[in-house]
Amino acid sequence: MNMSAQAAPSVAISVRDLHKSFGPVEVLKGISIDAHEGEVISILGSSGSGKSTLLRCINMLEVPDSGSIAVAGETIRLKAAGCGKSRPADQRQVDRIRSELGMVFQSFNLWSHKTVLENVIEAPVHVLKRPRREAIEEAEALLAKVGIADKRNHYPAHLSGGQQQRAAIARALAMRPKAMLFDEPTSALDPELVGEVLRVMRGLAEEGRTMLVVTHEMGFARDVSSRVVFLHRGAIEEEGAPDDVFTSSKSERFRQFISN
Amino acid sequence: MDIAFAAETLVSLLSALPLTLELAITAIAFGAVLALALALARLSGILALDWFARLYVFVFRGTPLLVQIFLIYYGLSQFGAVRHSIFWPVLREPYWCAVLALMLNTAAYASEIIRGGLLSVPHGQVEAARACGMPRFMIFRRIVMPLAIRQALPGYGNEMISMVKATSLASIITLMEITGVAAKIISETYRVIEVFVVAGAIYLAINFLLTRLIAFVEYQLSPHQRQLLPMTGRLKGESH
Repeated sequence: MNMSAQAAPSVAISVRDLHKSFGPVEVLKGISIDAHEGEVISILGSSGSGKSTLLRCINMLEVPDSGSIAVAGETIRLKAAGCGKSRPADQRQVDRIRSELGMVFQSFNLWSHKTVLENVIEAPVHVLKRPRREAIEEAEALLAKVGIADKRNHYPAHLSGGQQQRAAIARALAMRPKAMLFDEPTSALDPELVGEVLRVMRGLAEEGRTMLVVTHEMGFARDVSSRVVFLHRGAIEEEGAPDDVFTSSKSERFRQFISN
Repeated sequence: MDIAFAAETLVSLLSALPLTLELAITAIAFGAVLALALALARLSGILALDWFARLYVFVFRGTPLLVQIFLIYYGLSQFGAVRHSIFWPVLREPYWCAVLALMLNTAAYASEIIRGGLLSVPHGQVEAARACGMPRFMIFRRIVMPLAIRQALPGYGNEMISMVKATSLASIITLMEITGVAAKIISETYRVIEVFVVAGAIYLAINFLLTRLIAFVEYQLSPHQRQLLPMTGRLKGESH
């Protein structure tokens, strides 16, 4: 915040030396990333490279073994849990920070027993304690923005994948998040539905939202993101502006990855 | 079959209906609370709770309800400690012994039904709730429970119907519920067919209403599993 007078925008999400193992497999081997406000970072990598785990560590859906995460300058406090593992020291802090981060999942994960509108107002009303009427107004505006205002009283099961994912994006936006985390948002969609979701995401990027996007969409990574991070076996193999890395990467692996 | 006698019997048996309903409702209600606690114990990941719940279900599901009723009504009073405890005013009443036995028994079955419902909740929906910053209890109350109840309801309906019928065992410990009154009338008149046909018909009527009630609740709770109305209308129109 004290940086706001200067040209450099403040850091929205800071990841420092993150390590995470599942059993004997070390999935993240010391990852550090800073996402500045307004930045769109595409996280690329083949399956098993640790990109989803990295994203899920940021809001503690996976608890890192070591390293630190800070959101808007506030570091999530972890304590040792034995066997080289950690756990959150203060669950309330984790819950609060999660409410400041919007997450969009590969499989949408809308609440199936609630309508689209109910999905969008659920957390604003119950977690943020916003007045219901106000939350509904905002939700309707968000649903209009992602183009499914007419579906607000439908249940998720009655929507196409693309509509469900756009509803999930509206649900995340309704929390007025400081940053958005996208975990392969288009990977579960039929090819003809990918475009409508990417258009919404592109719109969010143009608004200047801070976004971390784990994706296989090379077009999105190249055209929309301000930075590309390429993970290989739990470490950052390549990182930079898309124009640089897509045209002249020094990493043989990355060149191979994008040529596929 | 003597219709006039059957009608007379019906009136006598209906006077015992409130006790049957009271037994069933009290046992099902308390049983549900205990069942939820047992299901949560099974899923808690805490070894001692898990094994306690497993043992409980094993014992109460694996022994006859009649034996449990006998043990509680006749067995507990053998112990001086029970007779002198604060529970004695309750445990010496056949009504509460029957409720206790029915409740403990239904809890064993229902806990497995509820556990199945809880396990059916898609993990992704729980994760989405966590990602929104919902605290654990709020997730349980607003996301997990509503989804679990919908899944568990058909199975739980079976268990409730079983309980209504199981209340007839309470007649064995002197309670004059429907079956108790029926047995008394038979001992006075020796007319087995009329009395038990009427008694059976009353249970059937209770369970018919109960089935309709469960179906109604299930319908109310599952708007998301219904087809969109305009769509079903159109499909019907096309196929006929």
